[in-house]
Amino acid sequence: MNQSSSPSNRPTGARRLAVAAVVTAVAAGGALSAAPAQAKGGDDVVHRGTCAGSTHWKLKVGPDDGRLEVEGEIDSNHVGQSWNWRILHNGSTSASGTATTKAPSGSFEVRRTVVNLRGTDTVTFRARNAKSGALCSGTVRI
Amino acid sequence: MRAILRRTATSPVAQFLAAGLVVLLVVAVGSLVLSRRAADHEAVADARATTELLARSVVQPALRRGLVSGDAGAVDRFDRTMLRKLLVGDVQRIKIWRGDGRIVYSDETRLIGSRYPLGEEELQVLHHGTSDAEISDLSRPENRFERGMGGLLEVYTRVRSPEGKPLLFEVYYSSADIARRRQDVYDAFSPITVGGLLALVLVTTPLLWVLTRRLDRAGRDRERLLLAAADASESERRRIARDLHDGVVQDLAGTSFALAAALRDPATDRATSARLEPLTASLRRSLRALRSLLVEIYPPDLRADGLAAALGDLVAPAAGAGVAASVQVDEVDAASEDAVRLVWRVAQEAVRNTLRHADASRLDVHVRREGDRLLLDVDDDGQGLRPAGSAAPGGRRGEGPGIGLRSLRDLIREAGGTLEVRSAPDRGTSVHLEVGA
Repeated sequence: MNQSSSPSNRPTGARRLAVAAVVTAVAAGGALSAAPAQAKGGDDVVHRGTCAGSTHWKLKVGPDDGRLEVEGEIDSNHVGQSWNWRILHNGSTSASGTATTKAPSGSFEVRRTVVNLRGTDTVTFRARNAKSGALCSGTVRI
Repeated sequence: MRAILRRTATSPVAQFLAAGLVVLLVVAVGSLVLSRRAADHEAVADARATTELLARSVVQPALRRGLVSGDAGAVDRFDRTMLRKLLVGDVQRIKIWRGDGRIVYSDETRLIGSRYPLGEEELQVLHHGTSDAEISDLSRPENRFERGMGGLLEVYTRVRSPEGKPLLFEVYYSSADIARRRQDVYDAFSPITVGGLLALVLVTTPLLWVLTRRLDRAGRDRERLLLAAADASESERRRIARDLHDGVVQDLAGTSFALAAALRDPATDRATSARLEPLTASLRRSLRALRSLLVEIYPPDLRADGLAAALGDLVAPAAGAGVAASVQVDEVDAASEDAVRLVWRVAQEAVRNTLRHADASRLDVHVRREGDRLLLDVDDDGQGLRPAGSAAPGGRRGEGPGIGLRSLRDLIREAGGTLEVRSAPDRGTSVHLEVGA
């Protein structure tokens, strides 16, 4: 079951980036809910959602000196969970890895920069719980 | 002040230092030019070597599949791993081109995916795997983002993607690096060239100064010896002249008077008078010649008030040579002894030249004063001086103004005077002297 949402506000940066964001939250294993995307800061686009029951995810993408800074976060409220995460840029794997939720919040966060290519960039943050197989995924088009 | 400047300008040490300074400047400028060339060459060679090293050791191993086709993930991974490794030192810009002119990667991300035609040199490097360097043409659109970086040197070489596609790896270096290398090369060479020359000047200047002092001292000694010799010669001439004047001249004068008295004596018969008269005339001529010789050997009085009489005695032999001579001396009483002596010596030389060589019928000697200058003119209407080396009538070679007058020029110059000799063949000779009174 998929659900998409639009950003709550449009960025107004100097480069006048036309920003459109589509967030897709996928909850594998049944329970699924989505939260409206939020934007914070000048040109940053932030989207949040829930997946796998009480797990929250966040994807923030913002311009950074000709590049895009991507920040993905999973907050499951359980310490010690192992997650396999991946950042896709225009459908191609830009970065990937494994992370473990840490105290006190039971969350982890990854940050990477991707190149701001010509035209619209589609950035997806995807994380899968290594044990339960629950999948959380969000996409921003910027 | 002018005298000090003139003395300084003629000093060998000052001349050496001036010449040394000029050479130093020439060497410095030459070194600068040569070091610029060497540094430019060095900088380009270094940039090429650096670029080839970056291409082989850093870029080539880091190229990922998909980069050549513009895969965003491959571009991201290359950017994250290579950016900090490539933008080191004076590297200002990185571009990786495909053969069709598409930029597959640049640290200036706005260029990624753009396409610009490659030049012939770039294509040659792409096909043959060499490297090349040139000053960036910042007017080209692909270089528009480098326009604020000042002058740039771009070096490019070939790398290969994992798919086997040739790519052009291009690195832009700051021209500030070239300037710094230029300065480094100049700094390395200048101590050897400029410093060496400076050291040579510093070492040789005291030596030259010592040598000059020795030469000056030797010159002064020689001058002192010459003056002593001249004094001795003058004393000797004075003694000879005095002996002749007091002895032979007086005897001859007495004999002449006695002969004149005998001729006037009524008791002397005609035949005796006829024999004595030419003898008396001959004796008078000899006496005049002897007095002129005495004047030449040692002028009786070279003070201003005695100059007219001395010049009169000087030209006395002219009558015997058939030359009408005149002497005029105007208002020279206050002239210094040195000036009068110089006038006398020039007049002596000029009169001697006229009587010996000019074949003149007239000789005029005129001394006068104009302001603070004493002027001498000796004019004749003789055959004039022949240009040096030309053939004179009778086969005699011309000698210009004469050795005697030429030798007096230095003396006249030292006294602050001027000597002018005007002459032309068969149009007489005029000698004009001006000297401070």
